[in-house]
Amino acid sequence: MLAGQLMDLRSMLHSQGVIFAYSGYVTEPVLSGVGEALKQKLTIDDADTKTLRSVFAIFVEQMQNIIRYSAEKAHQPMPPASDAGALNEIRYGILTIGREGNDYMVCAGNLVRQSDVPRLKERLSRIRNMSKEELKALYKEQLRADPEQGSKGAGLGFMEIARRATQPIDFDFADVDGEYSFFALKATI
Amino acid sequence: MRDKLDIEATSRTPAVVFDFANNHLKIAGESYPEDVTEFYRPVFDALDAYLGKLDKGSCRFDFELIYLNSSSAKAVMMLMDKLEAAAKKGAAVDVHWFYDKEDDTMQELGEEFGEDLETAMFHLEKMPG
Repeated sequence: MLAGQLMDLRSMLHSQGVIFAYSGYVTEPVLSGVGEALKQKLTIDDADTKTLRSVFAIFVEQMQNIIRYSAEKAHQPMPPASDAGALNEIRYGILTIGREGNDYMVCAGNLVRQSDVPRLKERLSRIRNMSKEELKALYKEQLRADPEQGSKGAGLGFMEIARRATQPIDFDFADVDGEYSFFALKATI
Repeated sequence: MRDKLDIEATSRTPAVVFDFANNHLKIAGESYPEDVTEFYRPVFDALDAYLGKLDKGSCRFDFELIYLNSSSAKAVMMLMDKLEAAAKKGAAVDVHWFYDKEDDTMQELGEEFGEDLETAMFHLEKMPG
C-alpha cells in the first residue's frame, strides 16, 4: 500500500519526464541544495554550458518567486521583536524540472491572491508575446525603473526567465476559491 | 580609508577584491545571494568611500561574473552607475566585463551595461580559457 502509493506518484512524475520535483515550503537553503543537485545532474547529462546556465538561472528565478510571493504561507505566531518576522515566514510551492528529448522544462506553481491575477496575466501575456529584442529593451527599462509596489526583487524575474528560455513561456491559472488562484509557469530550455 | 576590501566567494556570492592601493577592483564568480541588499551593502559602501576620494585618478574595475540572478543585475547596475559618476567627475575609469564565450546571455548583459557608460571606458572581453 505504502510502496504502491509512493511508486504511483513517482511513476506519474516519471511518465511526464520529471527528473526533479519539490512540493512544500521553500526556503533559500532548499534553493541552494536542490540547485547544487540540479547542476550535478546537468553536468552528468553533459548539457552544454549555455543550457546548464539557462536551466539553472530559470530554476533560481522560479524558486525565488515562490519564496517571495507564494500566497500560501506558514509563520511563527510570535516573531522575535528583533526582526520583521520575514525569516520566520515560509512559503509553499511546487517546482519540477523535466526533460523531453533535448529540452528541459522548469515548472513552478503556487497560490496567488485572486486580486493579483489580472496584473500577473497582463504582465506575462506581454512578456510571452515579445521577441528577444523587445524583451531586451523592456529588461533594460525595468532595470532602471523603481520596483513596483509589493516587489521584493528588481521586478526582472519573469523577463529573465523569458530571455533564458528557448521557447515562449507558458502560464496558466486555476481557481481555487474566491480568494486564491493556483498559478503555474513553465519555461522550456 | 582602508586600502583593501577582500570578500571570499561562496557558492552563491562572488569574490570581491578591491585593491584600492593599486586602483584595481574586481568582482568574480556567481551572484545569487539569499539577501542581495545585505551582501552588496558593504561593497557599495567601500566603493563609495574609494570613489569619493579618487578625484582625477584612475581605476580599473573587472567584472568576471559567471552567473547573476535578476536581483543581482540591479546591484551590478548600481556599481556601474557609481563608476560612471566618478568618470563624469574626471576620474579615468576602465570597466572590463569578462564573459564565458559559451554563454552569450552574459555577453549580452555586458553589452547592455556597457551601453549606459558614456564617460567610463567599457571593454567587453572573453574569459581566458
